[in-house]
Amino acid sequence: MKKRGSLFGLAGILVMVIIVSIYAIGAQEVMKEPSNTSETRADVITIDTLKGFGVLERPVVVFFHDLHTDALEKKNKDCSTCHLSENDRLSPKFKRLKDTGRQEVMDIYHVDCMACHKEMSTAGEKTGPVEACGECHQEKAEPIASREPMGFDKSLHFRHSKANQDKCELCHHEYDKKAKKLFYAKEKEGSCRYCHMEVTEENRISMRLASHLSCIDCHRKRLAEDKKTAPAKDKIAGPVKCSGCHDPKKRQMIEKVADVPRIKRKQPDIVLIQTDEPETDKRGLALKMNPVPFDHKAHEGHNDTCRVCHHASLDSCSKKCHTLAGSKEGKDVKLERAMHQVGATESCLGCHEINKRDKNCAGCHAFMEKDRKQEDSFCLTCHMQPLQESPEIAEKPEVVAGLLLQSRKAITDTYRDEDIPEKVVIKELVDKYEPVEFPHRRIVHTLLENIKDNKLTNYFHSEKGALCQACHHNSPTAKNPPRCVSCHGKPFDENNLLRPGMKAAYHQQCMGCHKEMDIEKPNAVKCTDCHKERKKPEKDFYGRPL
Amino acid sequence: MPISRRRFLGWIGAAGVGATFGNSAHAAVNKHYKGYPESFGVLHDTVLCVGCRNCEAGCNKVNELPPPAAPFDDLSVLEHKRRTDTKSYTVVNRYDHAANGGGPTYRKTQCHHCLEPACASVCFVRAFTKTKTGAVVYDASVCVGCRYCMIACPFEIPTYEYDKALSPRIMKCTMCHPRVVKGKLPGCVEACPNEALTFGKRNDLINIARERIRRYPDRYVNHVYGEHEMGGTSWLNISGVPFKHLGMREDLGVTPAPELTAGALGAVPIVVGLWPVLLTGIYAISKRKERIARAEQEQAVAAALTQAREKGEAKLSEALEKAEVKNRTAIEAAVKKALEKVAETQTKEGS
Repeated sequence: MKKRGSLFGLAGILVMVIIVSIYAIGAQEVMKEPSNTSETRADVITIDTLKGFGVLERPVVVFFHDLHTDALEKKNKDCSTCHLSENDRLSPKFKRLKDTGRQEVMDIYHVDCMACHKEMSTAGEKTGPVEACGECHQEKAEPIASREPMGFDKSLHFRHSKANQDKCELCHHEYDKKAKKLFYAKEKEGSCRYCHMEVTEENRISMRLASHLSCIDCHRKRLAEDKKTAPAKDKIAGPVKCSGCHDPKKRQMIEKVADVPRIKRKQPDIVLIQTDEPETDKRGLALKMNPVPFDHKAHEGHNDTCRVCHHASLDSCSKKCHTLAGSKEGKDVKLERAMHQVGATESCLGCHEINKRDKNCAGCHAFMEKDRKQEDSFCLTCHMQPLQESPEIAEKPEVVAGLLLQSRKAITDTYRDEDIPEKVVIKELVDKYEPVEFPHRRIVHTLLENIKDNKLTNYFHSEKGALCQACHHNSPTAKNPPRCVSCHGKPFDENNLLRPGMKAAYHQQCMGCHKEMDIEKPNAVKCTDCHKERKKPEKDFYGRPL
Repeated sequence: MPISRRRFLGWIGAAGVGATFGNSAHAAVNKHYKGYPESFGVLHDTVLCVGCRNCEAGCNKVNELPPPAAPFDDLSVLEHKRRTDTKSYTVVNRYDHAANGGGPTYRKTQCHHCLEPACASVCFVRAFTKTKTGAVVYDASVCVGCRYCMIACPFEIPTYEYDKALSPRIMKCTMCHPRVVKGKLPGCVEACPNEALTFGKRNDLINIARERIRRYPDRYVNHVYGEHEMGGTSWLNISGVPFKHLGMREDLGVTPAPELTAGALGAVPIVVGLWPVLLTGIYAISKRKERIARAEQEQAVAAALTQAREKGEAKLSEALEKAEVKNRTAIEAAVKKALEKVAETQTKEGS
């Protein structure tokens, strides 16, 4: 009984201590993230092959590939020092063709890496670790990988096809499932990524493996030829080192062709975009919007790769994936969304929206609500009303599309100069400064000048007065739009929470536009760039000198 | 009524359980203070802020603060990060994002006017008040100068007039409380040429902020700073860059400061109240133990004595009895003998 009593007493004290400490924990500060400022490299390879055989006993080895390539180059050794060949192609694996077993793979690294390091070390040369395990198997590896994906833009594509005399079959191929082999299909060439995915699948290797095997192998052979024949300056072989393709700085040195000719794949110049589904349902009711005439050739010129739009294959978008009602293959993205989704770079509107970020557009468009409901008639801008053409022409969609495109008027339409006020004096708010003389006509002219060479912009501003709508917003286009003061008044109106007051309306519109258009003068924080300091009256209201 | 050990331990146990589960029960009733209804606030939209420092000038003017070291149109002060001090309730700082490909962003800093202010919760003389207008105001007349508020504030806003020997005060933004009650705008808001500062009811400001984010998703980060930070503040911020790039803490959590300490401070009365009880109890228990031991000892001694006495008495009586019996037997034998003798004599005489 006695013992139990003192136990209860202890328990009581313990409870108190715990309560106090629980609250004290809540008051502690959360630790701040450590900042990372270590060196970065593009050639970082993590050797973790043994992961495939079970749990790793030691930390993975971080290996700098270019460091080793350079060291071997100095000794006049090439890739075959470390990589074996099979069917005249280098294996990407170190000193082996296959990962045969845990012990074998481990031994290859331990014996062959160390042998070379030791050899160089005894020769008194600078080399890698030779002794302690931890020198290679480091817990915390530095530096950090800065590898950038290579990407293959149309300039690079053109240089490759030119160098290889348009022999597309050197790179492009298809896979014959029955015969289980690769073959070349002329004018069916597509992006590697349509088949080669992130990871190796049943009958196709990963994109990473495919590109390294094919690109480097070809570059390597070309390099060997170059060494034999061409003088140094004429060397045309592509990079073989990691940094050549993946280092941000080295990538900038890759030559860019300014005016890239079109890819020769017999792709269409003009397309009439319409669904593959029937035009009417069983009752004969129309199912579709008007088809869209599409200038494929012009769009090619504005994009770096076919994949920008044809993101998964070069087949028709609506056939299997983006059907009118959506399908599993297309991740239930309906045709309507596939063409109109803002925020998706593959869709028409998504890409056009990105174009509006150009500084000549952003001045007006940055302030427009992103997913605002457009007027229904706006759809007809792309989904043009069909022309009254002869039946034989109607059966040729590309001819119809061509005629529709020809009928388009891509000219920004605005009012005659004499209808555009030259100067607008803003004097509603005069207090500290003189009224502002706003060079209205000059600004209209500048906006027109900025977009005059942009076909897309001109087509979408071809309605009279459309250009004026950026500043003269929220009212129909008109030669004499309502004055700002009709809507904007005192600030912070409770009934109009989102409407800025008069002063802020002017400042936000002028300064916001200047900022988006990178206009440095007038300076947003220098009031006198726009406003003249108001002269102080010499006499006060009663005529007494001040 | 004497405290029995059982009863005392029962109390201790109940107090422990009550203190442990008291807080979670409190959370279970979903008690959440959302600030005074209809209270005001200010929304600072850093996307609209051009960094002109007009707000600083406006603040200085309406609060009649001493003239600044550099005039308000001198923007070179933005080269260095500044903080609020006793002569400026608000400062604008520039944050460069050139590394991320963006232009500079400006952020005005001042008291955030928390819905449940940390400064007020630590002040033991109640110098700080969260008013119904939304402003957190300070009363210098009761301040004792402990500066706990400066330590408590998660935004490092209150400053102290160290240079005043006789009547130093805590200096901080008042959200122009005296002006707001008169129906005027705060000085900074009135001075802002671009409505980067919006004054209004806090609920409306949250709606405005949300609507701006919805309309321009690529211009704003989808977060209203101050809607929930530290349990909510009357001053709100929206921004085009993550708030940590504007020197704003993102580790504050959504719990109001008083709630963080209320538990620990709430435990103080229990601890202070409980220790005397606990110690008295322990003392009483040990005293009682002693008393019982003594009583038991006395009892045992008494019992032993009684027993010994009884034993002695029994022996004595036995001995006496024995002696009596012996005597009686002897007497009886003697009587018998005498009687026999008499009878023998009589028989002889008769024959």
